[in-house]
Amino acid sequence: MSDSDAALVARTLAGDLDAYAQLISRYRDTLGRYASYMVGNREDAQEVMQDSFFRAYRSLGDCRQPERFGAWLFRIVVNRCRTVQRRLSRDRQFTGELPSEVPANGDATSSLEWGEEISRALASLRPHYREAFLLRYVEGLEYDEMAKVTGANQPALRMRVKRASDQLRELLRDIHAS
Amino acid sequence: MPADHSHELQDETLRRAVAELRRPVALDPEIDAATLRRIRTQAPRPPGQPWWRSGRAAVTLAAGVLLVLFLRAPASEHMMNGARPVELRLVAPAGSRVVVVGDFNDWDPAATPLRPTGEPGVWKVELRLKPGRYHYTFLVDQRQWVRDPSEPPVPLTDFGTPMSVLTVS
Repeated sequence: MSDSDAALVARTLAGDLDAYAQLISRYRDTLGRYASYMVGNREDAQEVMQDSFFRAYRSLGDCRQPERFGAWLFRIVVNRCRTVQRRLSRDRQFTGELPSEVPANGDATSSLEWGEEISRALASLRPHYREAFLLRYVEGLEYDEMAKVTGANQPALRMRVKRASDQLRELLRDIHAS
Repeated sequence: MPADHSHELQDETLRRAVAELRRPVALDPEIDAATLRRIRTQAPRPPGQPWWRSGRAAVTLAAGVLLVLFLRAPASEHMMNGARPVELRLVAPAGSRVVVVGDFNDWDPAATPLRPTGEPGVWKVELRLKPGRYHYTFLVDQRQWVRDPSEPPVPLTDFGTPMSVLTVS
């Protein structure tokens, strides 16, 4: 049976770096999915995750609820994604290249094409819309959790989700029509 | 397992897209080793204390503020490129605070407050917007959504919020 987040945080604070390695391994892929879709390419997503883990380690004493380490770390990841995304926007390097996972079932080629279509559409959304859409529908957060993670209030988040959904639907329709 | 809210989406294509996006993603496990190397070289001591209790807190904070100011300056200039002045007005005699939220400020109620014009109950704000089409609405006293009567309405959203659409040419 694996240790709880709280136990691993306590061991890390006591100087056990192996315990922190377990936390990294536990959250690398789950939060990495959000980072991948948010910044639009694997290389920058990996930079986001590495940087987030490093910052989280340095600030671990600020983690008031170690049993909710994942939620606390998620806030750091969201902020790092915003920073990297702003840099990418300035550099005009946002590509919308997305994780190229081969599906376990079904037609791999068509599924990959469909995945690329979605990523292109997602990448063309405004960052705040993309963020809200991913948090709501991909990460499954409730609106109060989204408010804590993003710092935005719930009416604004509901509107961003709605606008993102509308725009994504139009974009996917255009892709299929072309 | 994260909650699945995709039942809120009425469009089948969107639901399929969400199902695709919820597939697991595997990043390079090398991230783990790289992070630990960085910790060993740059932060070798256990993170026992909150950073703000350290003696370097004030310096770090000041540097952060300067960095934010530095980063924001060119962004603001960039936003002005090609933007046109647009004045929005609303008559809200009973309101004590009026803000506008829309596509231009990511629906952030803290971003764009209106100020009283001096005429009784009349509020205004001047925006600089690039050419485009923007959905927006006013929020009076953080509870009442009021669409701009001087611009065309858009159909009610799923959330029942009245909105207007503004075209900047």
